Amino acid sequence: MNKGIVIEGMRKRYGTGDTAVDALKKVDMQVEPGEVVGLIGPSGSGKSTLLKSLGAVIDPSAGRMMLGGEVIYDEGWKAPDLRALRRDKIGFVFQAPYLIPFLDVTDNVALLPMLAGLPNGEARQRALDLLTALDVQHRARAMPSQLSGGEQQRVAIARGLVNRPPVILADEPTAPLDSERAMSVIRILNDMAKKYETAIIVVTHDEKIIPTFKRIYHIRDGVTHEEVGERRGFD
Amino acid sequence: MKALPFQGRTLALIGVVLPLLVLFVYVALRSGPLAPVAVTVSTVEARSITPALFGIGTVEARFTYRIGPTFAGRVKKLDVHVGDRVQGGQLLGEMDPVDLDDRVRAQEAALKRAQAALREAEARQAHAQSQAKRYEQLLAVHTTSEEIAATKEQDLKIANAALAAAREELARVRADGAAVVAQRSNMRLVSPVEGLIVARDANPGSTVVAGQPVVEMIDPQSLWIHVRFDQTSATGLTARLPAEISLRSRNGQSMKGRVLRVEPLADAVTEEILARIVFDELPDPLPPIGELAEVTVTLPELSAMPVVSNAAVRTVDDQLGVWQIQDGELRFVAVKLGAGDLDGQVQIREGLTIGDRVVVYSEKALSERSRLHIVKQIPGAAK
Amino acid sequence: MISLAGRDILNTWGKFIFTGIGLGLLIGVTLTMAGVYRGMVDDGKALLDNSGADLWVVQQDTLGPYAESSSINDDLYRSILSMPGVAEAANVTYLTMQVRQGRRDVRAMVVGVVAGSSGKPGWPPYLVAGRQITRSHYEAVADIATGFELGDRIQVRRNQYTVVGLTRRMVSSSGDPMVFIPLKDAQEVQFLKDNDAVLQQRRRTAENPMLNRPGVPGLLDAVIATQSSNPYVNAVLVRIRPGFSAEGIARPIRRWQRLTAYTRSQMEEILIGKLIATSSRQIGMFLVILAIVSAAIVAFIIYTLTMDKIREIAVLKLIGTRNRTIAAMIMQQAVVLGVIGFVVGKVTATFAAPYFPKYVLLMPLDSVTGFFAVLMICVLASLVAIRMALKVDPAEAIGG
Repeated sequence: MNKGIVIEGMRKRYGTGDTAVDALKKVDMQVEPGEVVGLIGPSGSGKSTLLKSLGAVIDPSAGRMMLGGEVIYDEGWKAPDLRALRRDKIGFVFQAPYLIPFLDVTDNVALLPMLAGLPNGEARQRALDLLTALDVQHRARAMPSQLSGGEQQRVAIARGLVNRPPVILADEPTAPLDSERAMSVIRILNDMAKKYETAIIVVTHDEKIIPTFKRIYHIRDGVTHEEVGERRGFD
Repeated sequence: MKALPFQGRTLALIGVVLPLLVLFVYVALRSGPLAPVAVTVSTVEARSITPALFGIGTVEARFTYRIGPTFAGRVKKLDVHVGDRVQGGQLLGEMDPVDLDDRVRAQEAALKRAQAALREAEARQAHAQSQAKRYEQLLAVHTTSEEIAATKEQDLKIANAALAAAREELARVRADGAAVVAQRSNMRLVSPVEGLIVARDANPGSTVVAGQPVVEMIDPQSLWIHVRFDQTSATGLTARLPAEISLRSRNGQSMKGRVLRVEPLADAVTEEILARIVFDELPDPLPPIGELAEVTVTLPELSAMPVVSNAAVRTVDDQLGVWQIQDGELRFVAVKLGAGDLDGQVQIREGLTIGDRVVVYSEKALSERSRLHIVKQIPGAAK
Repeated sequence: MISLAGRDILNTWGKFIFTGIGLGLLIGVTLTMAGVYRGMVDDGKALLDNSGADLWVVQQDTLGPYAESSSINDDLYRSILSMPGVAEAANVTYLTMQVRQGRRDVRAMVVGVVAGSSGKPGWPPYLVAGRQITRSHYEAVADIATGFELGDRIQVRRNQYTVVGLTRRMVSSSGDPMVFIPLKDAQEVQFLKDNDAVLQQRRRTAENPMLNRPGVPGLLDAVIATQSSNPYVNAVLVRIRPGFSAEGIARPIRRWQRLTAYTRSQMEEILIGKLIATSSRQIGMFLVILAIVSAAIVAFIIYTLTMDKIREIAVLKLIGTRNRTIAAMIMQQAVVLGVIGFVVGKVTATFAAPYFPKYVLLMPLDSVTGFFAVLMICVLASLVAIRMALKVDPAEAIGG
């Protein structure tokens, strides 16, 4: 059974009756643990709605979704504690890093394990380990406002990974970065996916990084298609 | 616990918050009921004090003469004015005699008439006597009748009586005359002694009733001060004590005097003791009668005893006492007070001994639980 | 778990401290306002305490001597003094007037106290400088609030008085400082207004044919003499022996002497219940308004601070922070703001209090009540912001 992401026949309808809009019509996706998959689509294609559904912050109207082997939605049924689920199963990496400005780098990362109930020291240690892995440990005591864009993004990735979620959703993680830094972010994501057996979806339209995905899903008018053909992938 | 990450910021924060907290604790402890009460402390010393009594009075003259007519009449003339010095026996003025002079003349005429009547009676009596004598001799030789002789004898007796009547009438008329003359001379207002005219109550032409004064005069040598002492603060007031007199118009200048007598009658209404103070030497110029004078009577110096300032004396639970500091503890000690002087020093008869430390001034009322803060001077009460 | 609120405050501590100081000044005003009210009550109580009396005997059916004018004969105290249980009875006069010293004049309550030693009812119970009155005329003890100094010559109506002692917190119920002078002088002060008035009165009497009869020498003088003496005082202060009840002594005085007698509690009721009732309601209104304004300000500040953090709150929610944690964060910030405000307010109120012309009494109990009121207000005020924060959709953190 797939321990990554499984979506089958997901639909999302906003509103009712004549004004109803189908944002998602038919979404089918499968991402294996350790796999980094791209999601590409123009504006208005339902990309955001899909991401929010994946992030368990909006509920789909129909279909099934499983994250890390756990059923989240199943034809109208949904898991009881989505908040804890977000905390434990999903890591978020955004276009803008959205770090908490009043916490330093370590605590920004350590906050999640703390919220999950880990003691402060242990949580910080785990955060430091990750920061070291991401090569930003020298800024561990800095405030987010003192970091460069790439450093912030790496801290954001560390935060996404810190709870070792089975799924990471990355929304345009390379948009504010130059190509060199963008590539290093992609490298990190790939490394982490392998290291932690994480299923990662990267939403992007950054031409620089599209070739790095082994598999790509396109979404258009609420319908997903997997790109057919052999791709080089990231080495 | 991880070290705080932002050192400079933390220092600045501590720099702001810490003083604020210190200030807050200071405020909480130094104001309100927890705050210590500022007091000044002094030591009980043995000292001799000179008690004194203070009273106020007015300048008065011991002898005042109110000169006026003995019966109603009109003032004819008045020669003296306020401030004049006059001699004893000097004519000050006169009342209008109205008809008195005419009555004197009438009396004189009546006197003459009485004298004439007397002479007539004498002549009649002489004649009657000679007639009586002749008929007595004639009767002895029986040349007349016994009846005629008896008639002559009776005539003589009648003449004698008429003479006596005429004499008494003359005396009466003379006395009447003297009375009118005396009345006439009473119209004159004469100074009884050497003195000073202080008031002129009526002017020529005005009518006064009997007893109403026309002029008032005093004997300036007899000025004294009529002083009133509050009964509660007149302990030891007796005659012959030295006194200092300060007249209102001569502020700051004090004159010597002494207590002449303490009046045997006190003023029961105003609760004051009255006394007379005389000047050792009369001031020149003389103070006006009625001027206010402040009199300080000095009593003999008392032998040395423990004294405290009267500011230290407090009343707690209906007991007079002082707050004593013993081994840093505040304690109320009931005391018995002795004499005090005008500078506020008061003797302690019982309750304290020399060397005891007592609270003199305090910022607020004290209690056994008051925390003390001993200062040299209560803040705010600048000397 | 780390304190989110604490971290946020540390991060923007300058904003917090300054906002807290601003709020603190407002709280300071509120505390001072309460202090003004307490001061008024305390002025009334100080007046009663300082008189040293257990019982006030005044003219029948008056609320004297403080709330209403009262006039009784000055020899009445003798019959009161002879009653069993009465330790001391002393005449007293009160007159609020301008007291001149040099070029300035001060509004003061002139108190006439009986001659004798200190400790008599009516005398200033303690001094801060100088001595008590020893002469039975022309000496004065003044409250330091008058600004007089030892040795000053002050003019009360027709006479000059030397300031021989200074005292403190001796005020009338309206907060005017007291000047103590001997009773006999004070009786004169109440009656003989000034030289001109005396002269006019004399002239008027002399022109009255009934009083100035030509056939009766001396009548005019006698009439004027009675006119220019004042055998009245305002009240008799009675001190009661331990073991006797004030009411037990007041009853026969009311019944047989045809006077009104008030005990301490009745007097307090008159002073505080009647004299300053309107003022206290006035101040109560102010307190309510200030509390509302403070609450509004705290609510507004917390609301603004939360608005600035909407995005962070969305992120926090997205990554799985509990609502409780977020609400606690906002509430803690509001409470910290309140605490800073309270500390600043208490300090400013305490330091500002002595500069007020009238007495401002800051009661510790009021401060404690105020503290909890501030906390309450802060908690309530933060509810608006909390409600808004809880409505933030975590989806907002995900762009698009």
